[in-house]
Amino acid sequence: MSKWLRENLWRHVVGVLVSLFALFPLYLVIISSINPTGSLQITSFIPQEISFNNFAKLFNDPTIPYLTWMKNSLIIAGTVAILSVVVGASSAFAFSRLKFKGKRIGIQLLLLAQMFPALLALSAIYVIMERVYNFAPAMGLGTQPGLLLVYMGGAMGVNIWLLKGFVDSIPIELDEAAKVDGASAMQTYWLIFIPLAIPVLAVVSLLSFIGTFNEFILARLFLVDMDSRTIAVGLQGFIGGQYSQNWGPFAAGSIIASVPIVIIFLSLQKYIINGLTAGSVKG
Amino acid sequence: MKALYHGKTTKFAKYVVVALVIAILAMLVQSAFASHEYEIAAFLTVALIVIAIVYLTEISIPFKFLIPGALFLFAFVIGPIVYTVVMSTFQYQTGNYISKPEAILKVQALGVAPDKAGTTFDVLVGRNSANEYAILASDILTRRYFISSSTSKTELFPVDVEVNSDGIAQKGTGFTPLSGEERLASDQEFAEIRFIYNEPFFIKLEGSSLGAVNQRILEYKSDRDVFVNLQSGDVYSDSGQGNYVNEADKEEILQPGWRSPIWFSHYIDLFTNDKVRKPLIGVFIWTIIFAALTVLTQFSLGLLLALAMDRKIHGRRIYRSIFILPYAMPSVMSILIWGGMFNTEFGAINNLFGTDIAWFQSAIFARVAVIVVNLWLGFPYFYLITSGALQAIPSELSEAASIDGASPRQIFSKITLPLLMQIVSPLLVASFAFNFNNFNLIYLLTGGGPSSPLDGDIAGATDILISYTYKIAFGTNVQNLGLASAISVIIFIIIASISLYGIRKSKVLDSFS
Amino acid sequence: MFKGKLSKIAAGALALAVSMGLTVAPTHAATHTKKITVWADESRGPNLKKVIEAKGDWVFGYTVEIVTFSSFDALKTAVDNATDLTGPDIIVGANDWVATGAKNGKLAPITLSNAVKARFNPNNFFDLSYKGKLYGVPLDVNNVAMIYNTKLVASKPNTLSKMVSYYKKNKVSKGLVAGLCIAGGGTSWGAHSVLSALGGSAYRMKGGVVDATADPIDPALLAQNIQTFLLDKSGKSNGFFPASDAGCKDNFLAGKVPFAVIGNWEWKDYVAKGFAMNLMPVPGYKAGTHGAMFGSVSGALLTSFAAKRGVEAGAKDLLVNFFASTDGAVRYQALELRPPAEKGAGKASTLSAAQAGFGRAAGLAGIPQIGSILNGAPGSKSYWDLLPAFWTAVLVDGKSPLAEATKLNNFFKLNIAAGVKDL
Repeated sequence: MSKWLRENLWRHVVGVLVSLFALFPLYLVIISSINPTGSLQITSFIPQEISFNNFAKLFNDPTIPYLTWMKNSLIIAGTVAILSVVVGASSAFAFSRLKFKGKRIGIQLLLLAQMFPALLALSAIYVIMERVYNFAPAMGLGTQPGLLLVYMGGAMGVNIWLLKGFVDSIPIELDEAAKVDGASAMQTYWLIFIPLAIPVLAVVSLLSFIGTFNEFILARLFLVDMDSRTIAVGLQGFIGGQYSQNWGPFAAGSIIASVPIVIIFLSLQKYIINGLTAGSVKG
Repeated sequence: MKALYHGKTTKFAKYVVVALVIAILAMLVQSAFASHEYEIAAFLTVALIVIAIVYLTEISIPFKFLIPGALFLFAFVIGPIVYTVVMSTFQYQTGNYISKPEAILKVQALGVAPDKAGTTFDVLVGRNSANEYAILASDILTRRYFISSSTSKTELFPVDVEVNSDGIAQKGTGFTPLSGEERLASDQEFAEIRFIYNEPFFIKLEGSSLGAVNQRILEYKSDRDVFVNLQSGDVYSDSGQGNYVNEADKEEILQPGWRSPIWFSHYIDLFTNDKVRKPLIGVFIWTIIFAALTVLTQFSLGLLLALAMDRKIHGRRIYRSIFILPYAMPSVMSILIWGGMFNTEFGAINNLFGTDIAWFQSAIFARVAVIVVNLWLGFPYFYLITSGALQAIPSELSEAASIDGASPRQIFSKITLPLLMQIVSPLLVASFAFNFNNFNLIYLLTGGGPSSPLDGDIAGATDILISYTYKIAFGTNVQNLGLASAISVIIFIIIASISLYGIRKSKVLDSFS
Repeated sequence: MFKGKLSKIAAGALALAVSMGLTVAPTHAATHTKKITVWADESRGPNLKKVIEAKGDWVFGYTVEIVTFSSFDALKTAVDNATDLTGPDIIVGANDWVATGAKNGKLAPITLSNAVKARFNPNNFFDLSYKGKLYGVPLDVNNVAMIYNTKLVASKPNTLSKMVSYYKKNKVSKGLVAGLCIAGGGTSWGAHSVLSALGGSAYRMKGGVVDATADPIDPALLAQNIQTFLLDKSGKSNGFFPASDAGCKDNFLAGKVPFAVIGNWEWKDYVAKGFAMNLMPVPGYKAGTHGAMFGSVSGALLTSFAAKRGVEAGAKDLLVNFFASTDGAVRYQALELRPPAEKGAGKASTLSAAQAGFGRAAGLAGIPQIGSILNGAPGSKSYWDLLPAFWTAVLVDGKSPLAEATKLNNFFKLNIAAGVKDL
C-alpha cells in the first residue's frame, strides 16, 4: 500500500489538479449557458436553476444571426478543407514522385512558403484583394469567395508539405511495379496513390477545416456585413467588450460552435496528433 | 477503370474544363486591364498561358500535377510576400492610398467651395435645345429662371416657364425634362457636370433637385506640377513624401496624397526614429519573453503530465481525455471565454480567489493572464508529444542504467531527458515560431493592452510584434500600411531564421540535399 | 496522327476559350443596382430600417439597405476599416468623426438649400463641418446629465463636497458601491462633466470660440481637487468615483449608487424603473459652478464611396428627403425616442420631462464637442484614450495626481494647438 502511495499518489495529485485546470473554463461556460440570468457573475459554482433562455435568445434574436454565422463558417471551412486538399494532393504527389526541372528550388520555396504566416502579409493581401474587387467585385475584399481564395492559398503551403511527407513514406516499389505494368503518371496517381492516401487526405482536410474554422483576423478584415460573418467574427463582435451584458448567449453560442469541432478532434485524435508531430502547430 | 483515363469522353470533359478555366481567366484579364490593374492582369495572363500550355499539350506531365497548387501559392503566398516588400518602400497610409494622377483629380474635385452666400437653386434635370444635359434652375424668391449646361446658359422670363405650387419651374421653353428612369440612369453623369453660371462660379448638382453655386479654389498647373490657390495665391508643390505642401507653410498639406516611393525611409525610421524604435524594441523584447515563457510553461506542464501518466495508473484514459479537451476546443472560443473569466467585476477568476484584480488594466497581471491562458491552450499539445516521445525511448537504456545502480532521478536527467529533448527540440522551435506570431491570443484576450497613453505609449504591454503591426496597419485613425509592411519583413526574416534553424536540426532538408 | 489531331483540338479549344472570355465584356460597371447602403449602430439601425421600409419611396428609383452593427464601437471600427469597396454610402455616426473622415477622404461634402438649413440649429452644422464644408445632416442631439436617486438623497445636491460626504457617511450603512458613476457616454465622453467639475477641461472656450492660449487644466488645482474629493489620505481611491463605467447603470437602478451621469438616449429605462427625471449638471468643486458636459449631434454623414458607386445623387436625396425632413425625423424619433435635431420634429413630439431636463442641464453647462481637437494631433493621443487612462492612473494605479494631471494637460495642449488649425 505504501509503495503504491509512494509511486502513484503524486501521479493522481498532478492528474486531478491539471484536470481541474483543464475543465474549469469549460465547466464555467456550461453552467453560464444554462444560467437563467445570463450573467457573467456566477453566484454559485453549482447551478441552482436550469434554463435554456440563452439558447433561445441565440436563435430568436434578430440582432444575432447566429445560425447564419454558423452556416457561413461551415461552408467556408468545408470548402477550404476539400478544395485545398484536392489541389494540394496533386502537387504533393508531383514533389514527391515525379522528376522535373527546378524541383529542388520548388521544394525550398515550398518550405519557406509553408512557414510564412499569412498574417504577416496581411496588409499586402488586403490591398491586393481590394484591387481584385476593382475589376471582379464578386471575389474581392469583403466577399466570402475572396476570403475563400485567400484561405486556399494560405492552406496550400502547409497542406502540400504535410501530404508530401506522407507520399514520401509510401514505398516507391508500388509505383515502380505500376510503371512496369505500363501505367502513366496519371494512372499511378489515381489508381495507386489516391486510394492509399484517402485516410491521410481526410486528416489533412480536417486540420484545414479546424484551422479555417478558427481563423479570425482575415475573416474579420474581409467580412464586414453582419450576415456574411463567420462564427468566430460574429461571436467576437457580439461579446467584444461587453462581457457583462452578453455573456449568457455568448456561452451558449460558443458551446454549440465548439461541440462539432471537439467531436471531430476527439474521434480522430490519433491521426491528427500524427499530423501535428509532423510539424504543424494548431492555431 | 483504366479505360476511364483514355476515353474520349474524359478527354472531351478535360478540354471543356480547361477551356472554361481559360475563358474565365481571359475575362478577368480583360476586366483587370480595363480597370488599370496591370500587375494583376499580368499575373493572370501568365497563369492563363501556363495553364493553356501545360494542359493542352503534353509538354510536361509533372507540371499538370503541380500547376493548380503552384498558382495558388504564387497568388496568395509568394505574391503577397513580394508585395509586402514592395509596399514597405512606399509612403502607404491613410491619406496616401491612391496613385498620384488619382490624387490630383481628387484634389481638383475637392478644390471647389460653395460661394460665400451659399446660393442654391431648385433644379429640374433634362436637356436643352442643343440636346445637351442641362438643368432648369429656379430661384423661387426672386422668380429667376434659367437653363444651363456645361457649355451654355439661357435666362428665361417667368412667362417662358410653368411653375408648381412652390414656384419651382416644371417646364420651360427650350428645355425637355428627363423621365424618372432617364434621370436615374444618368444621375452620376449629372453629378459630375459643372453647369455654367457667372465666371468663376459654376453650378454643381446636389442630389437630383438642387443646384449649388460653387467656385474653383485650387488649380493644377501641370507644367510645374503644383497647385495654386486662386484666392490666396499660395503654391503647393510635391513634397517627395506623397503630398502637395504649401511652400510658405510646410505644415499645410493638401489631402488626399498619394502612395509615393520613399525607398528605405521606413527601415531607417525603425532603427533611428525614437518614436518608432522605442515602442518597437519594447514589443520585441516582450514577444521573445512571451514566446519563450509560453514554450517553457507548456512544455514543462506537458512533460510533468506525461511522466505522471507514464505508468498504467487507474483512470489514465479518463485523465487523457480530459487533458486533450482544451486542445480540442476551437481556440477562438476558448480565448473569448477566458476573456470573460478575467473580467474584474464579475469574472470567475476574481470570484474564485476572492480577489479584486483589474487583470487587463495592469501590465503585469495582463501578462500573467496571457501566459496562463496560453498554458491552458497549449499544454495538451506537449503532453501528447512528450508522452509519445517517452514511449519511443527504448526501455533497455534505463533498465541497463538501473542495473548499474543509477537512481531514477539520475536516469531521468542523464538518459531520458536528453533523449527526449533530442526528439522534441524541433517541435519546441516550431512552437516558439508559432507563438511568436500568436495574434489571436493577444488580440482576442487583451487587445494588446493595457497601454498608458498618458505616458505616450503606442504599443500595449501585451502587444507582440504581429499584433503591434496589425495596430499600425489597421488599428487607428491613421492606417500605415507601409510601415507595417516594413515591420512584417523584419518579422519574416526572424521567423525564417528560427524555422530554418529548427528544420536543420530536425534534418528535414537531408531528403533533398 | 493522333497527336496532331489532339493538338488541333487543343488549339481550337484555346482559341475558343480566349475569345469567349474576351467577348464577354465585364458588365459590373454598367449594371449597378441603384442601392444606397446606410451603416448604423445597434440602436438606430433597426429603427431606421423600420421607418424607411414603412414608406419605401424616400428616393425615386433607389432601394435603401440599412446595415446594423452590434455596437457603436463596432460601427466605428468598421468605418475605420471601410474602403472604397466595402464602405457604405451614408454613415449614421458621431459628429466628431467628421474631421477624421474629411481628412482621410472617406466623407464627401454636401451643400444644402437654405430651406433645409432653416430646419436646424446652425451650431449643429458647425459640428458636422470641417474647414467650412458640411459633411452630413444632423440627426439627433446627444448629451448627458446627472440624475440622483431620491430614495437615497433627500434634496438636490448643490456641491460636489456634499455628494462626497453623503457617500462617505452612508457607504457602509446603505451598502453603496460608489458615490457617482458614469452610466452613459463612457469614462471619456460622459466623464468630461466630472473632469470639469474638478476644475479641468478638454479646452477652454472664450466668447464662443476655443481659447488656444489658455491651459485646459491647472494641474495643481485638478490634483488638489482629486485628492480632496476622490482619494483618501493614503492616496488611494475613496471609492466615490469608479474609473470604469461597468455596471454603473445596474448599480444605480439597484440603489447602490446615489448619483449617476446618464445619457439622454437611455432615460426611458430610468423612467420605466420609476426614477424622477431630476436631471442636473454635475456640481462643481466650488459652490455654484457646474461640470461642463459635451453636447453633440449625431449625423447622417455622406461618404465618398457613394460617388464611386454612382449613387451619390441618390444618397444626397436620401439625406435631404428623409434624414433632414420633418416627416422623416418625426417617424424615426417616434421609435428611437432621442431628441431630434430637426426643429419641426422637435416641436411635433411632445417633450417629456426627461427631454426638458436634459435641455436645461445642457443650457447650464454645455461645451461643444470639437472632434478635430479631441481626436488628437500627430505625436499626441486622443482625448478619448487619455481621459480614461488618467482615471485609471490616479484611481486604480494610485499614481500621483499632480504628475498625471501635468501629462494630461500637456497632451491636451498639443491637441488644441493642432486642432484649432482645422477649425
